[in-house]
Amino acid sequence: MANFNTHFSVAAGASAFVSATLLSMEVVSPEQAVVAFGLGTLGGLLPDVDSAHSKSIKVGFNVLTLLITIMLIFAKSATYSLVEMTLSSVVVFVTIRYAFLELFRKISKHRGMFHSIPVALIWGVVVAILAQWFFALNSLVSWVYGFMIIFGYLVHLILDELYSVDLGGRRMKKSFGTALKVGMFKTKEQQIHTAIIYVAIPLLFMMAPETTMLQESLFSKEAWLTFLDIVLPYDGKWFFH
Amino acid sequence: MKKSIIVSVVAMLFVGCVPQPKPSIGLGVGIGSSVIHSEYGQPPRNYRVAIRNYFSAKLKRGSTARYAFSTPKRAYKRKGLVYGGDVSWKGWRVETSVAVPSRTGREQRPRNYMVLFKGEQIVEDILGNSHSLLVKVDP
Repeated sequence: MANFNTHFSVAAGASAFVSATLLSMEVVSPEQAVVAFGLGTLGGLLPDVDSAHSKSIKVGFNVLTLLITIMLIFAKSATYSLVEMTLSSVVVFVTIRYAFLELFRKISKHRGMFHSIPVALIWGVVVAILAQWFFALNSLVSWVYGFMIIFGYLVHLILDELYSVDLGGRRMKKSFGTALKVGMFKTKEQQIHTAIIYVAIPLLFMMAPETTMLQESLFSKEAWLTFLDIVLPYDGKWFFH
Repeated sequence: MKKSIIVSVVAMLFVGCVPQPKPSIGLGVGIGSSVIHSEYGQPPRNYRVAIRNYFSAKLKRGSTARYAFSTPKRAYKRKGLVYGGDVSWKGWRVETSVAVPSRTGREQRPRNYMVLFKGEQIVEDILGNSHSLLVKVDP
């Protein structure tokens, strides 16, 4: 299993490549590409937040706590005074960062359903919903952000699987198959976990932004032609356009 | 088991907590135009020119794009929930399709935008045909 630094480096590198490609294809603006890069990198750390003592859980909760605290400040900035905003921010920060984190550590189990493809999808849809409903972003940008979370998440899962192959000893480690999975079916409890996650996906999709723009911009013949346009210099001149 | 309960509760919260926009806020069909105009203002007259100028400045190669426009239709939009979710704009939207050539000059499929007006001024453009926070009073 890859460590925190490896996950961070690989997710950041892969996200940089994808967000630069999206920028070059004119799917996102430069500012949006920066956010997309950040979300892809964050997505690469998310699967390990179920590991009680990993760096990922600390980073994940810090980012989440800061995000919620900033959202509170945005929402109340028109009516709250500076002192009220400061006090409520401190309360929210301490509650989530410490109380919720401890609770989460107690109930989560590493390499459970958090390391699975459907949970990656859930994270992506949730991010797309939040981007549109909370920040009023358009459908394409909302879904690009959701897509980047899913992408980073999948990079993490694939990396974990690659690390579970012992090339020197030509054998599979015990952890093989526990990261990139579609569900857990061995025990009744695992089957219930899996079922709930699969029920949650269509429910979340009902609230999600329309996907038409994402399909046209990333997963269409037109998108493929646009991608081909940017692979090599269109005017045949290298570096001197 | 506990984790699965949390996942489902979070999912239910997202489904249940986000308020659905109420289309009924708009004025019904048949109400006098003076009342409509007091709510939404006059529809823009020179919207074609305004939109062309707007996208020529905003989009790469926007000045060489092909444009198609709908007639102005009423709509209103809420702020993002992080900003309170109140109605932030009420006016006229023009559905516009813009076909910008690629950087190699290849003709691309048009993209649809909803251009929001307050009087003759463009307030905002939204990529796509719909937005969760925008309610189309006129379909």
